[in-house]
Amino acid sequence: MDPLALGYIAAGLGAGLVALGAGLGIGRLASSALEGSARQPEAAGDIRTTMIIAAALIEGVALFGLVVCILMALRAPVGA
Amino acid sequence: MRLALALLLALVATAPAAYAAEEGGDFDAVHHTADGNYLDFLPFFKVELPRLFLIREADGSLGLAAFGSSTAAVASGRIAVEAHGAGHGDEAHPEGEGHAATGEHADEGQEGGAVQDVAEESLAELQEVPEAPAPYDSHLVATNGAEIVVDFSPTRHLLFALAGMFILCLLFLPMAGKYKKGIGRETAPRGVLQNMLETLVVYIRDEVARPNLGDKTGKYLPYLLTVFFFILTCNLLGLVPFGATATSNISITAVLAIATFIVTQFAGTKDYWGHIFNPPGVPAFVKPILIPVEFLGIFTKPFALAIRLFANLTAGHLVILNLIGIIFIITETFGTGAGIGTAIPATLMVLFVYGLEVLVAFIQAYVFTILSALFIGMATAEHEHDHDHSEDHGLTHHDLAVAGANGQTPHKLHERTVGTEVAMTA
Repeated sequence: MDPLALGYIAAGLGAGLVALGAGLGIGRLASSALEGSARQPEAAGDIRTTMIIAAALIEGVALFGLVVCILMALRAPVGA
Repeated sequence: MRLALALLLALVATAPAAYAAEEGGDFDAVHHTADGNYLDFLPFFKVELPRLFLIREADGSLGLAAFGSSTAAVASGRIAVEAHGAGHGDEAHPEGEGHAATGEHADEGQEGGAVQDVAEESLAELQEVPEAPAPYDSHLVATNGAEIVVDFSPTRHLLFALAGMFILCLLFLPMAGKYKKGIGRETAPRGVLQNMLETLVVYIRDEVARPNLGDKTGKYLPYLLTVFFFILTCNLLGLVPFGATATSNISITAVLAIATFIVTQFAGTKDYWGHIFNPPGVPAFVKPILIPVEFLGIFTKPFALAIRLFANLTAGHLVILNLIGIIFIITETFGTGAGIGTAIPATLMVLFVYGLEVLVAFIQAYVFTILSALFIGMATAEHEHDHDHSEDHGLTHHDLAVAGANGQTPHKLHERTVGTEVAMTA
């Protein structure tokens, strides 16, 4: 198999895995936050702020992975 | 009148299709969201932007060369479109040397080059001979042995960033004048604009800045407000027809992140540096691991800020363009009927994603601001390592800040009702 093709597959798989990880992480975060604010509606505002910060941090890590995938896909020496 | 409107709509509806057909069905989504040296008013026309180069002549002298447009630059004979094949393999050839020396602009050029390479190569694989690209779309080189050292040309994203600044000045300078006169301070705010913007300003002050910065809010609030409104305006400008998203350019988000980085470092107290280079309460054998991690943390935080904003704004536009692209791909593969069938759900999806984009525009501006506030707040915080009295009483920073602002002694705003669920089930 063409090693280049493997590189492209790696980039695609990586992007998918990144989405999977980030989705799982943010999903768990949101579920816990919802649960928390349902149990204690007075704290909903605080919980929301903290949730957004944590979601942004998870997203940041996911985007690092995504950038690596994009670089892999774009920087591969096409047709070499 | 109605007829004219219908005609106009028909024109707008058919023109993109005609354009796509003319290009042989190519739909280059990346190219549309990328930076460029023209303003895009397709399907009607394009406006080329002026080009400004720092050129090193063959005899070694440096000179500035300004042209009205890319086309004019090529027509002048001093600049030429890079020949096909010569620019390929930026990575393989040491041609990158010239790029490396030119700094930030070189990166842009290389990235654009890489994207173009992929597009061109895939075309070549399909045995299609592409027409010579327009001067504004291609990589330009100097002729007669001269060399372009730096490309200072204003690009689409720069223009839209400037437009964002201009809009902000237009909105906020009159408003500042109103507050100076006392409207809004002694009386209620007057007019739609002032009421609307004051809501946002107060929200940023009370919900974003104050919980994170405490009594130093006043010092850093102007920066946070500027960043918030600039990012918001740039994000929203990208959703306007013919607009471009300045914040989907990594250079612009990097500059914003560097601003936060600088503010954070200057805000840093002794405690902040102490926690990085001599973390208290940590066993000595962990320190060699922890200190480098903490030190890297200084740089990864703004890096993540830049990447996050860039990726979110770019991704949204790419999704929209790819959904539109599906229509053309299906039309090419299965015929016009299937294409029209796809167009209806695809358009609905695009509308949905567009709505999401509006949401993302606000959320990302908010996230950038709150994270900046958080980083600055973490740097300015003065810790008491033995025990934190406010924590003992279950008071948050928010409670303290609100109480401070109201001139009261701190009290619990939120009743912490641990164990409510037990009482309810019993």
